[in-house]
Amino acid sequence: MADVALDPRTAKRPLLHATAWDRLKVNHNWLGLWFMLPAAAILVLFLAYPLGLGIWISFTDTRIGRSGVFVGVENYEWLWDDTVFWLSVFNTLLYTGVASVFKFAIGLYLAILLNQHMPFKAMIRAIVLIPFIVPTVLSAIAFWWLFDSQFSIISWSLKKIGFISSNIDFLGDFWNARWSVIFANVWRGIPFVAITLLAGLQTVPPSLYEAATIDGASRWQMFRFITYPLLTPIIAVVMTFSVLFTFTDFQLIWAMTRGGPVNATHLMATLSYQRAILGGYLGEGSAIATAMIPFLLACILISWFGLQRRKWQQGESND
Amino acid sequence: MNPFNRRTFLQGSTALGASVALTGPALLDWAKAWAQTAPWKPERNAQISLLRWKRFIQAEEDAFMELVANFTKATGVKVNVTNESLDDVQPKAAIAANTGSGPDMFWGLYSLPHLFPSKVIDLTDVADYLGKKYGGWVPSAVTYGKSGNKWIGIPVAYNGNVLNYRKAASEKAGFKTFPKKTDEFLAYAKAMKAQGTPGGMALGHASGDGNAWVHWALWAFGGNLVDARDRVIIDSPETAKSLEYAKALYETFIPGTASWNDSFNNKAFLANEVHWTNNGVSIYAAAKAGNMKEMVDDIDHALWPVGPIGKPTEFHVAYPIMVMTYSKVPQASKAFIAFMMEAANLDPWVIKSVGYLTPGLTAYEKNPVWTSDPKLTVCRDVAKNTLTAGHLGSVGEKAAAALADFIVLDMFANVCTGREDVKGAVKIADRQARRLYRTS
Amino acid sequence: MTEVFVPKVADPRTILTGSSPTADHTEGMSYLETLPRRLVTLYLPLSIIVIVLIFPFYWMALTAIKPDEQLLALDKFNPFWTWSPTFKHIEKLLFETNYPLWLWNTMYVAIGSTILSIFASVCAAYAIVRLRYKGAQWVGASIFLAYLVPPSILFIPLSTIVFQYGLFDTPFALILTYPTILIPFSTWLLMGYFKTIPYELEECALIDGASRLQILTKIVLPLAVPGLISAFIFCFTLCWNEFIYALTFISASTNKTVPVAIVNEFVDGDIYRWGSLMAGALIGSLPLVLLYAFFVEHYVSAMTGAVKE
Repeated sequence: MADVALDPRTAKRPLLHATAWDRLKVNHNWLGLWFMLPAAAILVLFLAYPLGLGIWISFTDTRIGRSGVFVGVENYEWLWDDTVFWLSVFNTLLYTGVASVFKFAIGLYLAILLNQHMPFKAMIRAIVLIPFIVPTVLSAIAFWWLFDSQFSIISWSLKKIGFISSNIDFLGDFWNARWSVIFANVWRGIPFVAITLLAGLQTVPPSLYEAATIDGASRWQMFRFITYPLLTPIIAVVMTFSVLFTFTDFQLIWAMTRGGPVNATHLMATLSYQRAILGGYLGEGSAIATAMIPFLLACILISWFGLQRRKWQQGESND
Repeated sequence: MNPFNRRTFLQGSTALGASVALTGPALLDWAKAWAQTAPWKPERNAQISLLRWKRFIQAEEDAFMELVANFTKATGVKVNVTNESLDDVQPKAAIAANTGSGPDMFWGLYSLPHLFPSKVIDLTDVADYLGKKYGGWVPSAVTYGKSGNKWIGIPVAYNGNVLNYRKAASEKAGFKTFPKKTDEFLAYAKAMKAQGTPGGMALGHASGDGNAWVHWALWAFGGNLVDARDRVIIDSPETAKSLEYAKALYETFIPGTASWNDSFNNKAFLANEVHWTNNGVSIYAAAKAGNMKEMVDDIDHALWPVGPIGKPTEFHVAYPIMVMTYSKVPQASKAFIAFMMEAANLDPWVIKSVGYLTPGLTAYEKNPVWTSDPKLTVCRDVAKNTLTAGHLGSVGEKAAAALADFIVLDMFANVCTGREDVKGAVKIADRQARRLYRTS
Repeated sequence: MTEVFVPKVADPRTILTGSSPTADHTEGMSYLETLPRRLVTLYLPLSIIVIVLIFPFYWMALTAIKPDEQLLALDKFNPFWTWSPTFKHIEKLLFETNYPLWLWNTMYVAIGSTILSIFASVCAAYAIVRLRYKGAQWVGASIFLAYLVPPSILFIPLSTIVFQYGLFDTPFALILTYPTILIPFSTWLLMGYFKTIPYELEECALIDGASRLQILTKIVLPLAVPGLISAFIFCFTLCWNEFIYALTFISASTNKTVPVAIVNEFVDGDIYRWGSLMAGALIGSLPLVLLYAFFVEHYVSAMTGAVKE
């Protein structure tokens, strides 16, 4: 960054504006450096450096308790035809994909509902945020209890009503287990999406709706042609965050299933933890973790290009 | 302390004679005298930090803390004990070993010291001292404790993972005694299911109960993950037989065991949902602590049935303790290990833990807890009977990784739940095992 | 010198809050709807969603006050209610464990790392949005890349580093590592918010000779309070919930945070103490519930400010 700061180009700008403008610009690069320093220091020391270390470890045969030697891509080769690894990739994509879609759909719907006038609005909004507030690991344990194979209140209620005759095997059956953890993740993720989209909805000028109403637009048309286009940028950002957080989820799975039954709910993050920390194969665990990066990068790039319209994202002037 | 334990404790004292008769001040005097004569002199102003597995039974932890307090009083060495859940001890120890700082001692599972043999101190003198004094170590303790000629960990005790069953229901099903052979056991499981009192064993990622029963099943039919030279031999007709057996057994289970972790069977057993399962004595202890009289009377324990190979193939949890090389108080730590395993301490500790712990020294078979309550007798032999992690192969990091990665457990779960056929499941396990046991 | 701006400062603030209200623009049309219609389109779906969202929480609360013997006996006692609530679990939690200490630790860590992150994010966001130094856009982008690196990847190498820095088992291990999760989001949020602040204000100040720092603290920050509150709440919540770092970097029971300590304390190997676990979760959530109850409207309006074009 220092080289950049020394670049004299900025100082040579023609004096189109007032002198204050100029003064303001002269030291931008240095000032920028100083202002970026706290964030940069933390991110470099506690993020970039360990990340580099982690990637390095993935090319070694490090085990817990002894440092390894460079083995090239051996860890990746072993992963390449490891069915369990690919299962975890599949699970991660399924988990992220399905959970994100539901979070988005329900979150948006909820935001639209909450945006309407109603009594106790503040209280309802506060209630909606509850799943976001309870520490994840503890709500995961509560879900685990709700999904118990013998003492599930859901199974019990459905049995009482007469819908089913035996307990639902929520976490023991492969697909049930997947839907169950996805449900818990959606439950936890909706509030964030809903509240942020609610904020987005409030930026839509009411006059647009009024005009549309006068023109006789239907509710759906209003949503489709006014709300949705105006909301797209914020949707893109929220969903990027949501996808990234879901993709790297660990706590929920670990507390509820530990990846079971038979790896049916293992995510890449949990498999990496299991192999690196519990199994002691740090190199291979790091390789699994590193394998997540291309997927995450893809997510970011997609949202990035989706966001091109909004230049502020990149710190450029737009208004 | 509930009255039962108090009473047993007193019985125990009379039975074992002078050394355990000590309580309160007398025990403290003994401790002080012990500190004078012990071969290990704690460093000046020594303080030990110890990380142990999180208790399964409250009374066991209370007794342990009492012992720790006595050690401090006798030697002036303060011991800071922290608890971590069973699965978290190993990561914590690993990080400490990697970074060269952390608690002085770790008390963990199975082959923990073998994960980093160069990072733990030589405990041969402690092991010899205890071995000589208390009738020698059982074979599995030697396997778990020794690396080459050196003892790198002291297997303090085992947790017997035994069959828990309800007597009334079993008798009703026509089994006055618990089956001793695998095929009888299958008949038993079928009969229990037929009369509406099924059992169940964990097939989820349950590091304790799950691993215990699938390894028993695998070994009972002569299957093995690796041979004596750590070559993967899981793909064998024996393995196939054991998988088929387990599948038949699984058909009799209560639904949902594929999601069970270590806690499910306790809950289900105590709530009368399952009538037999595999577990430590913690269900029994919980029933006692909760004053569930009916349950306490009706519950009993049995050793694992013997399979076609004709000898017991039990797999119990071992709890070895170790001292890290970076510790500044190795002498104090050694003294502490020896102290906790002296009869005056260990006997009452085992009694208070309702037989949850089984020491790995043969002299401790005489502890009255094994005979005063016949329901606990089976746990006496678990240290003697147990096979070690990795069985034929080494007990080192590979065996630990195979356990942590649930290779055998997932193979059984794959077959039992019908997700894979025997061939497919074995193939996956074989591939996973080769990954861990590769030589490079 | 800065007093000069006070009237100007006051003005846009009202404009801002006016332009990002908890707007009732639908109110203008709701008179068109009949009650039955609103019942079907609004209240019914809303109550279904709210019930689903709140039920697990209700279940936790109920478990916290249920006597143990009623927990598993679904058929003997109505599982949805209890007529004999017990405060045994809560009492045990508060008076027989280090729970107050854990709460304090969590609070301490959360506040510490939140303040640190917000400080760093304010500086970074301001620099990216307003200083427009060369390469700002790439720095802005690379901050986002931080989310490429989830804790589950990082904690293995990070633990080595935490040891190297001598932070292991101290609150600083968490206070310094949490910002890696917090800074990207709060920077993004504040970047959006700073944009809503009229640039003319700063220009005037610059002409009057104010330094950048003065502008930031005297003009921009006061105007950005809602944004700061929003970022604060978000960061605080994430800190409160964090599990994997707290599990790895903290070892002494007296240094633990609530989520880790509760799970550790009330899971006895294979017996879960449901009552105390859930009571701990509940009481541990209270500070956040209060925070949100007071600030939820701010949160929404601040977010509104941040996401405004």
